[in-house]
Amino acid sequence: MRAAFILSEIGLGLRRNLSMVISVVLVTFISLTFVGAAGLLQLQIGQMKGYWYDRVEIAVFLCVDNSTSPTCAAGPVTAEQRDAIRAMFGAENLSRYVSSVAYESQDDALRHFRDQFANSPIVDSVTADQLPESFRVSLVDAEKYEIIDEAFSSLPGVDVVSDQRELLERVFTVLNRASLGALLVAGIMTLCAVLLIATTIRLSAFSRRRETGIMRLVGASKAVIQLPFILEGVIAAVVGAVLASGTLWLSSSFLLTRLARQCPDTAFISAHQVLLLLPALILLAVLLAGASSLLTLQRYVKV
Amino acid sequence: MIRFDNVTKTYDPRSRPALDGVSLEVSRGEFVFLVGASGSGKCTFIRLVLKEDHASHGAVHVAGRNVATIPSWRVPRLRRGIGVVFQDFRLLPNKTVFANVAFAMQVIGKSRPMIRETVPDVLRTVGLEGKNNRMPHELSGGEQQRVAIARAIVNRPGILLADEPTGNLDPTTSMGIMRVLERVNQNGTTVVMATHDDDIVDTLRKRVVELRNGRVVRDEAQGVYEGAIAAAAL
Repeated sequence: MRAAFILSEIGLGLRRNLSMVISVVLVTFISLTFVGAAGLLQLQIGQMKGYWYDRVEIAVFLCVDNSTSPTCAAGPVTAEQRDAIRAMFGAENLSRYVSSVAYESQDDALRHFRDQFANSPIVDSVTADQLPESFRVSLVDAEKYEIIDEAFSSLPGVDVVSDQRELLERVFTVLNRASLGALLVAGIMTLCAVLLIATTIRLSAFSRRRETGIMRLVGASKAVIQLPFILEGVIAAVVGAVLASGTLWLSSSFLLTRLARQCPDTAFISAHQVLLLLPALILLAVLLAGASSLLTLQRYVKV
Repeated sequence: MIRFDNVTKTYDPRSRPALDGVSLEVSRGEFVFLVGASGSGKCTFIRLVLKEDHASHGAVHVAGRNVATIPSWRVPRLRRGIGVVFQDFRLLPNKTVFANVAFAMQVIGKSRPMIRETVPDVLRTVGLEGKNNRMPHELSGGEQQRVAIARAIVNRPGILLADEPTGNLDPTTSMGIMRVLERVNQNGTTVVMATHDDDIVDTLRKRVVELRNGRVVRDEAQGVYEGAIAAAAL
């Protein structure tokens, strides 16, 4: 009985305040779309970092069949060359710069590649022998890249020494700025949403002050009096969150398929990962609306 | 049923208190008129009983409990035991007579079958049988006040507080309302009615408590509106 009563009260409130409710829906829609966009950019950064990004600074790639650099003229790296290179890291003049060395075999490389490019169409066409084996080096001082480069790049069997972080960091700076911008817009829009929800609840409480006054007199509990108002705000915000989720999912799955086709050598997040973000958006909407309507009710609906 | 122990209520420390050391006891099943000019403290009395305000000094007991000790989440339970009727009826204009009365049961979670059974009974008690589906604006003032009384008593409260219930009604209609309140009282409900209506008080000859400037200046059984002191002053 009470649930049915509360539901009918919510319906009444939503209908009476339709224009305000629509504006709450739209504002939460826009604000959560920006929140979601910022989240997606961060997910994308995580995806691009791959397995080694946070672990090492430098990769020493060894020769494979199709390597083109002059040190690989003799074909793929041999076991002796590999051992010689490994021994170099232990040499006295280098070991003080190196904090750790990890060897990545071609099979390891394929495994890491498959993880990172799981969403890319090229993942199935790559085999282990196409990927170079490598030594992944972490430095005591990241600025000493030159020393490793000089020592190793001319060794036979070494294809190339690369500092992958430098390249990625430029991309990440752009992505981070974009997500910061998105968060800024999201913050302002979220503030608008919170204020608008508070105003809506206030109007709704004002237009139903007769009902709430009588409810109070006949001894309705605080929950019965306040719940319809809170749920009104929450429902409007959740509708906005669902719209934002739909927009994010549709636009990202469209964009990601196109991008993956255009830049096959970049790892992208998948539409499934986007789906993981959506419950968080809806939860955020519930929390925002619930908190702002509760605070408003404290002031405007006496119990 | 209601007991005031030396109750003082001050809204603004710079002006005189709204109630000033009031001690008063209303027993179960009594019918009490609360008379006095506007601003004499009748309204404050009712607000204190409902715990809409708290006393500045002294203790207010309702149904055997000091209301100051009732935690705020239990206040609704206190109010379920008290029916209230106002001068301006306070009906919901977009609900039918039946729905207005049923509303008081819905919001405290009574079942639908129980509501369907109780509401027509109560409407019969207040003399509104057959008007279930009317809207408030289709009713006369007296009928609207009957709806308000029905709503106040539908949850069978032990106490009915009436704040000038006949203030907007003509004398004949007012007497009809008084018959209803007497019937409610005969069913065992304690009735406290604040009023300006001297005809009614003089006709019914019930207990009369007169407030003046927040003090009880007269409390007599089977009293009249104009007290002996006031009459002598004229």
